[in-house]
Amino acid sequence: MQSFHPHGWVDHWGEFVVWARAEVHDSDRAAHAWFALLQRRVTVHAMGLEHRNNVRVLGDGPATIIFSHGFGCDQTMWRLLAPAYSKRYRVVLFDHVGGGGSDLGAYDQGKYDTLQGYTDDVLELVEEFGRGPVFFVGHSVSAMMGLLADVQTRSKFAGHIMVGPSPCYINDGDYIGGFTRQDIDSLLETLEGNYLGWASNMAPAIMGAPDQPELGQELSNSFCRTDPEIAKQFARVTFLSDVRRELPRLETKTLIIQCNDDLIAPISVGQYMHRQIPNSTLQIIENVGHCPHLSSPGPVAAAMDAFLAVGGV
Amino acid sequence: MSDGAPPTEAESPAAHDQAPCGLMQTAADGTFLWVNRTFCNWLGRDFDALVGRIRFQDLLSMGGRIFHQTHWAPLLQMQGSLSEVKLELTRGDGSTIPMVLNAIRHERDGVITHQLAAFVARDRDKYERELVQSRARLVMAVAESTRLQAEAKDRALLAEQMIGIVSHDLRNPLSAIRMGVSLLESEPLSSAQRNVMIRMSRSVDRAARLIADLLDFAQARLGAGIAVTVEPIPGLHRLIAETIDDLALIYPKRVIEHVQLGSGPCSADPHRLAQMLGNLVSNAMAYGSPDTPVLVTTSIAEQSISISVHNGGEPIPEAIQASIFEPMSRGANTSTANRSIGLGLFIVGQIAKSHGGQATVRSSAAEGTTFAVTFPRELLR
Repeated sequence: MQSFHPHGWVDHWGEFVVWARAEVHDSDRAAHAWFALLQRRVTVHAMGLEHRNNVRVLGDGPATIIFSHGFGCDQTMWRLLAPAYSKRYRVVLFDHVGGGGSDLGAYDQGKYDTLQGYTDDVLELVEEFGRGPVFFVGHSVSAMMGLLADVQTRSKFAGHIMVGPSPCYINDGDYIGGFTRQDIDSLLETLEGNYLGWASNMAPAIMGAPDQPELGQELSNSFCRTDPEIAKQFARVTFLSDVRRELPRLETKTLIIQCNDDLIAPISVGQYMHRQIPNSTLQIIENVGHCPHLSSPGPVAAAMDAFLAVGGV
Repeated sequence: MSDGAPPTEAESPAAHDQAPCGLMQTAADGTFLWVNRTFCNWLGRDFDALVGRIRFQDLLSMGGRIFHQTHWAPLLQMQGSLSEVKLELTRGDGSTIPMVLNAIRHERDGVITHQLAAFVARDRDKYERELVQSRARLVMAVAESTRLQAEAKDRALLAEQMIGIVSHDLRNPLSAIRMGVSLLESEPLSSAQRNVMIRMSRSVDRAARLIADLLDFAQARLGAGIAVTVEPIPGLHRLIAETIDDLALIYPKRVIEHVQLGSGPCSADPHRLAQMLGNLVSNAMAYGSPDTPVLVTTSIAEQSISISVHNGGEPIPEAIQASIFEPMSRGANTSTANRSIGLGLFIVGQIAKSHGGQATVRSSAAEGTTFAVTFPRELLR
């Protein structure tokens, strides 16, 4: 169905080599690691990215726009933007493994314990579904996956559109991420300590919205449903990530869409990113909250259009 | 209240104000437009301190605010409503109160408002915390038990390996003692000395049998069962009769009877059969009543052969019968001089298994105790 991406292969190969070296006296475990490696490779081959990441490709055009959701919900987050862009571009939507309609069986606690696991997935998706110039639209932590994917491979991306991005959520010296380590620890403790409460939050029951009958079909879904254990790990990976060192290495044209009132990504973070990424534009839009693509789709689309027009696509 | 606009005096009657749940109306950004008295009371905050002053999310813990941003707001936007979300709200005095919330999003003339209903969920919160704690305890208990099991398994394996090694290594010095005894026996000896030599010789035989049992045990436990070398046996009855003659010398004061049923050739490992019979007869002598004969029956049927040993006396308690072919299990009566280390029946069972058959026991006060081993008649075909 798709060729196995060498990057992912090399990553697992490294894991195997580490195993094999550390456990050289223990041939069973080395053999086990080797077998697991082969199995993982075969799994990716057999099931394909389409199933693993619940990939949807809409429309066609001279360039590809990949929309990547952040911590919390799934690809449905792009519902107010994706349809319009699918008239002019090839639009690729997907769910990160662990969220939405992704294959939960593909969730590997080891792989997804850092942003690198998600980054490898993004690279595989770009390789498999990208046609022509590829623009990567990443929300929040997803924008950093796109950034990592770019600086690790170069020349795969024509541009990045980062919606409410943050390279580091925790304050550190002069850097203001918006949260203290205690805030994040308390979040993680809340997640750990309120297993059932959060589990029910992850899959809220639907009351129905009588004034919006057009949502009838979608109401049967819970867009933010996730296995609670996976949600906790993704929260940890997201809010404890720090990719500030990588920002200056991004050479691709980048648009940073920053809300004027966003708890998760304060304005100072957007400004910091703009200073650190050489080829970047900062666009601050009027919006309260962390999801302007839902609450202020018009201004987000306007900023994206201007950015894409400059790129000639 | 249903049209989304801030309620007038007439629309928020006392019934809403004192409803048995917290009611709120907020702007799209979360700013309170109206709250009822119940909510104010639960929160220990004044109407005026809330409405127009702060946003709903300002009442949440930091974890709750992140959840509000990453789950609540997008869900409300996409679904138009959400329900049964549990969040901790901060009261006026700084303490927190867990609440379960429902919310609906209204849009009218481009103005978006949110209506929220809240219920205090202290008991549910407490119950859930207890569930989480017991779940954590359970996970720990399972992990601990798994660890202990693995440890016990390791220890048992080590012990079995040691048994194998030690019993193997004991055979050489024992052979030397046996040789020494037979050399001394050929010397001229006084009557007293000869008696000592006889006792020594018996003890050496007994030690050799115990070591053989231990080796078989170790082999059966660590390897793939007891090894047997099957060969044609033209006369099973004669083979068993000869073994009984040997056993009769060991138990001169006891009677062993032999019943022979059927005829014809069969196949088996003759040495293992003799060992098996030795173990069963020795058991019968140890546990059976001394005044009744031990009855050995060899039976050759069309497809199978069986060897059984019967003794009278106290029956084996039923609870023990089920596990009697396990190593180290034996009856309560262990005071006789002939007691073994409890491997005899285990080895009998293993020999039966290696012959593709099985060992069984029947025991009652009326019938006495019968051990029987049955296996296919022809193993060579």
